Amino acid sequence: MNRAGSFAEATDAYQLPRLIRLAPNLYAACFTLMKMVPARFILRRAAERGLLDPGTVIVETTSGTFGLALAMQAVHLDRRLILVSDPVIDERLYRRLTDLGAVVERVPAAAAAVAGGYQAARLDRLEQIMAGLDASFCPRQYSNPDNPRAYSTVAEYLVECLGQVDCITGPVGSGGSMCGTVGHLRALLPECRAIGVDSHSSVLFGHPDGPRELRGMGMSLMPDNLDHRIFDQVHWTSPGPAYQATRQLHQRHALFMGPSSGAAYLAARWWARANPDALTVVMMPDEGYRYQDTVYDDDWLAARGYLDQPLPAEPVLIDDPAHPSGSWLAFDWDRRSYDQVMSKAAMSGEPG
Amino acid sequence: MWLGGPTSYLDEPEPLAPGLTSGIGYAPAHHGELIQGVFEDDAGRLRRALVTMPLPGRGSRAVFYPSQSHWGVVGPPGLTKARRAAIYTLREFAAHPAPAKGGRVEITSNVPHGIGMGSSTSDVTATINAVADYHGVSLSREEVGRLAVLAEVASDSVMIDDRVVLFAHRDGDVLETFGHRLPPMIVIGCDTDPGRSIETLSLPPADYTDAEAGEFQVLRGALRRAIAAEDVALLGKVATASARINQRYLPKPGLETLIELGLRHGGAGLQIAHSGTVAGLIFDARQAGIDLEGCVVRIKELGFTVTDVIEPAPARQPRKNPRQPCENPRPHAPQPRRPQAAAS
Repeated sequence: MNRAGSFAEATDAYQLPRLIRLAPNLYAACFTLMKMVPARFILRRAAERGLLDPGTVIVETTSGTFGLALAMQAVHLDRRLILVSDPVIDERLYRRLTDLGAVVERVPAAAAAVAGGYQAARLDRLEQIMAGLDASFCPRQYSNPDNPRAYSTVAEYLVECLGQVDCITGPVGSGGSMCGTVGHLRALLPECRAIGVDSHSSVLFGHPDGPRELRGMGMSLMPDNLDHRIFDQVHWTSPGPAYQATRQLHQRHALFMGPSSGAAYLAARWWARANPDALTVVMMPDEGYRYQDTVYDDDWLAARGYLDQPLPAEPVLIDDPAHPSGSWLAFDWDRRSYDQVMSKAAMSGEPG
Repeated sequence: MWLGGPTSYLDEPEPLAPGLTSGIGYAPAHHGELIQGVFEDDAGRLRRALVTMPLPGRGSRAVFYPSQSHWGVVGPPGLTKARRAAIYTLREFAAHPAPAKGGRVEITSNVPHGIGMGSSTSDVTATINAVADYHGVSLSREEVGRLAVLAEVASDSVMIDDRVVLFAHRDGDVLETFGHRLPPMIVIGCDTDPGRSIETLSLPPADYTDAEAGEFQVLRGALRRAIAAEDVALLGKVATASARINQRYLPKPGLETLIELGLRHGGAGLQIAHSGTVAGLIFDARQAGIDLEGCVVRIKELGFTVTDVIEPAPARQPRKNPRQPCENPRPHAPQPRRPQAAAS
């Protein structure tokens, strides 16, 4: 791992987070672009395995930062990249991707109405594109085991800097960052707690699927890389508390991060306050630039009523993740599998 | 194994040049490893490597009696690796102004064989030092490590005694230096499988999974911190984690029982010999009120043999003048392992 401060490649400089102390027992692990960790690792491994010959086209479905990380790494590797995205892709991100040489395809807006939403439509289009190419490589961040594997570097860095880590809190999307970081860390620290933060209407931890405004976390499809047995507790937040926490992070700590970082901060701060003798690390996946016109705009927040409700001091502890109600919820997952939790929840939901 | 010319090697050593009687070398044993697994080198390749747990109280002493007239290298018949080490080392000195052609190696050692305390590395390293000593040369620690791996295929890092290193034991090079010394700790050594003897080279190399490679990466990061911060508690966790991963390859009977026993007595964790049967309960030497006697009693009650209690080494002495034979370089007087061989 490079600690010398000079890097042969730009993407290498994105590997490690900055550790910033927010409270005596709370550290933020702030990434400029966390998805670079799996993107770089997956593509370098593919190259080592001979899967990235000069004519091979890298293809992936993404509407977010994973695509940006792939595009940056594709520059170093000098490979073509096709990204399948949905119409809600951020216009500035689109321009940056194409400037890096990526071809970005957007699925039609009508796909949102079909079961599985944009994510299913993107996967279908991805298969079509791959079928039409002589040689292609798809990183498949949702199922590729190299995604969680990549985060051993982050776990190594955390223990080297902090020694003891009692709890890691972070947003969950593909499952790679939380399962990879905590999974590797537990070889050394088996007791380390994992708190996953999800958004409402995400299927990851049993909510019914639905439209989600909060970006950077939550899914409509269950990713293979999500190992539910990692998690001790799961939190869900609606956009309002997540946005307010994001702003507090900026106002109180001068940390300019995205709303998934804010949502994780909300849960981590609550747990760290309740457990002053434990050291908590909160994962913050990306910076706030993409949200300057939304989360960082008071008029935008006010128009949507996000400033009407005060930020709750604590989550509502629920005992059935399948029937959520409230803006900030927590559930003791207790390192169980998805089926274990859901069969129990179904039973407790029975009348009588 | 006998290589060399026609002369009978049972002859008495021939007269030596004045002032040069023989070469003497010493090497300590070890008490297994703090960690052993696969780690990335600077080029990003995965390499097998380990961090040795030193055992200052035991070691091997080799005496090299040179021959200017024949190429044979003779010595204790069982110690093939030590004789091979002598041959490789002699080859290193072929361009020396007055090289020995062959010679005889005698070894005295108090290192038990086959339980993971590095008896063969200790013999090999002492032999290399003895041959170098005869030639009036002090080899660098890295050079000794390289020769030891040549002679042994896989070697521990007892020769690198001035710092804590991650040693690629099948290549003989250092992947990382963690610091000058280990934090002060007391280690209660025991044999987890009394009577069993393990031949290191008969073990297939552990086939670590990709996930385990990631775990070793985390342990390496923790080790950096533990040694820099003199954090015995963290070091104990690293050693325990490595011991648990190794259970898949060479299981230690009663490992979890010993780990729990150590923790109950205020210990930091457990280190093992990854290719042997010994294990050591790690305690912070600076911690007050450790019930070492009570812990030793419990270990014996559980049916394990207590082998050594390793105390923190005093500050490292400068290397002794190799020309001055050291009669008793360690607290315990060494016992000849094979007196019949030494007497020939």
